[in-house]
Amino acid sequence: MSASQSAVRSRAEAVKVSRMFDWFILWAIFFVVLGGYHIHYMLTGGDWDFWSDWKDRRLWVTVAPIVAMTFPAAVQACLWWRYRLPFGAVVCVLGLLLGEWINRYLNFWGWTYFPVNFVFPSIFMPSAIVLDVVLMMTGSMTATAVLGGMAWGLLFYPSNWAVIGPLHVPVEYNGMMMTLADLQGYHYVRTGTPEYIRMVEKGTLRTFGKDVAPVSAFFSAFVSILIYFLWHFFGRWFSSTDFVKSA
Amino acid sequence: MKLIKNNKVVKLSFVALLITVAAAMFYTPTASAHGEKSQAAFMRMRTIHWFDLNWSKEVVPVNDTMTISGKFFVFSGWPETVDKPEVSFLNIGIPGPVFIRAGSWIGGQAVPRSVSLELGETYDFKVLLKARRPGDWHVHTMLNVQGGGPIIGPGKWVTITGSMSDFVNNITTLTGETINLETYNLENTYFWHAFWYAIGLAWLFYWARKPMFIPRSIAVEAGKADSLITATDKKVAMGFMVGAVVLVAVSYANTEEQFPVTTPLQAGLLRGIKSIQMPAPTVSVKVEDATYRVPGRAMQMTVTITNNGDSSIRLGEFQTAGVRFMDSAVAQDDTGYPDDLLAEDGLTVSDNSPLAPGQTRTVNITASDAAWEVYRLADLIYDPDSRFAGLLFFWDESGNRQMTTIDAPLIPTFI
Ligand SMILES: [Cu+2]
Repeated sequence: MSASQSAVRSRAEAVKVSRMFDWFILWAIFFVVLGGYHIHYMLTGGDWDFWSDWKDRRLWVTVAPIVAMTFPAAVQACLWWRYRLPFGAVVCVLGLLLGEWINRYLNFWGWTYFPVNFVFPSIFMPSAIVLDVVLMMTGSMTATAVLGGMAWGLLFYPSNWAVIGPLHVPVEYNGMMMTLADLQGYHYVRTGTPEYIRMVEKGTLRTFGKDVAPVSAFFSAFVSILIYFLWHFFGRWFSSTDFVKSA
Repeated sequence: MKLIKNNKVVKLSFVALLITVAAAMFYTPTASAHGEKSQAAFMRMRTIHWFDLNWSKEVVPVNDTMTISGKFFVFSGWPETVDKPEVSFLNIGIPGPVFIRAGSWIGGQAVPRSVSLELGETYDFKVLLKARRPGDWHVHTMLNVQGGGPIIGPGKWVTITGSMSDFVNNITTLTGETINLETYNLENTYFWHAFWYAIGLAWLFYWARKPMFIPRSIAVEAGKADSLITATDKKVAMGFMVGAVVLVAVSYANTEEQFPVTTPLQAGLLRGIKSIQMPAPTVSVKVEDATYRVPGRAMQMTVTITNNGDSSIRLGEFQTAGVRFMDSAVAQDDTGYPDDLLAEDGLTVSDNSPLAPGQTRTVNITASDAAWEVYRLADLIYDPDSRFAGLLFFWDESGNRQMTTIDAPLIPTFI
């Protein structure tokens, strides 16, 4: 096919082809992101996202937003700077959550029989919406990294509290106090995840006393800002057209 | 316009994409625990010796409980290559949550968390299991050791009957409510996930309803990027952002109101676990030599036994890696120990007449059974540190049992 010949003959036809192309690309982005982001998040966030008894107010709050900041930053870079489309972060999170839910429902529940109320994924959507809107309103990478990255980290714990809060109700069990989430981890036997692997309530933020979640969230937000910059540049580089322009 | 240089690239990327999507979505947490045979023989012989095990039931209906109880000896000659059990967790080797672990105790102390164990000590333990999923399951004892991995003990087949849909897991919280942990908070979880997913989709389709990639790309390249975001877009976007933040705040406040009493997740190492005070053995055993005869699937050892007690004794059992070699003339198993791990007459002693107090005798002991091969204990001879270890049980005239340990090099013979 020569570059000088057009495949369409009328404006209407051009619009139609363009729309088909839109849906095709959106579909492709969605699944590429689903695959890449999901596997990345599983390898880095892994157990913190799999089990309710890992979702603590220190490390989960810190780790999850940091490792999840990657793909949204990169995809935003591509979709915004080339198309002015402000849904990079949301499309990432939609893909991630779909992949996670399929995995949790079919494998964790359907195959291994862990109850879904123990293995549900984390919520990222409010953080993603704010990140996209900040980029759209400011049109600035720096502002998005700083304001959006900060919001990304800070919104994470409160967004998830509606789901995990009920699991933090205390219970006395065999003479010890634990939360319902701890009890889920104890009841639903994981041979490959002994209790000592669990990274909860560890860290050096104890000097802040009772309110560790906000402190962890601020730390997470700060690192998310840095990760945003880094992955935004990956995204820019990846979406540059240098390698196809030659034709 | 030539969009992509090479068709091959497209195909390969597509394959790669499918692989990553599949790899992530097909991930399943480890459910199987049938690793005992693949675990190095020296690990099984020289770390944790499980004995006096008892599986309280062989058939359990859903919602009923059973216990696995017994003792384990933390071997004094713990191998250098394995981290000491300073941080360990009493687990149970079952294929996923077919039972729930309703309780577990070491030395009478509940152990939902990790514990610190001492070498050379014997502990009694009990695990209470509540049947959840019907099927035939191999139920193993298991201790996880940080830096050492899982140490899997003997397993026995247990059948769960009934239907999983009948399973309930009622718990009363400290706030006085009784909930079924099997389904608790499930609808709430689905609701919030569906809710936020719908909002995300709404945002995506707000943009996707208008032409996207080609026209917008052309506009951006023509320097008309600013025209692509309208005043309405900005209003809608602000609505989404403010709405999202407000909804988070409202959902947070509602949860706080509904569940005013919450505590952080509980964790931490339990120290000071009580061991059993085992009476000091009055019999002493010295291994002169030990060989493993590969063709005969038999281990032979020459030992010198001295009876320092006041009652004559006989050797009744040699136990290693969960396999019990017994001399039925002295002792029999009446606990329903798994057949494949029990050699009722697998122990032959050249002279097993009662050894009177104060006497010393050198005897040849043969422990032979197919279990050497089935459980790959014979692979010990290929281990870097070819030593074997085990427990010897002696019985005196009044039927009292005493336990001694042996730990010695093992020489293979191939003819
Ligand atoms: Cu097994």
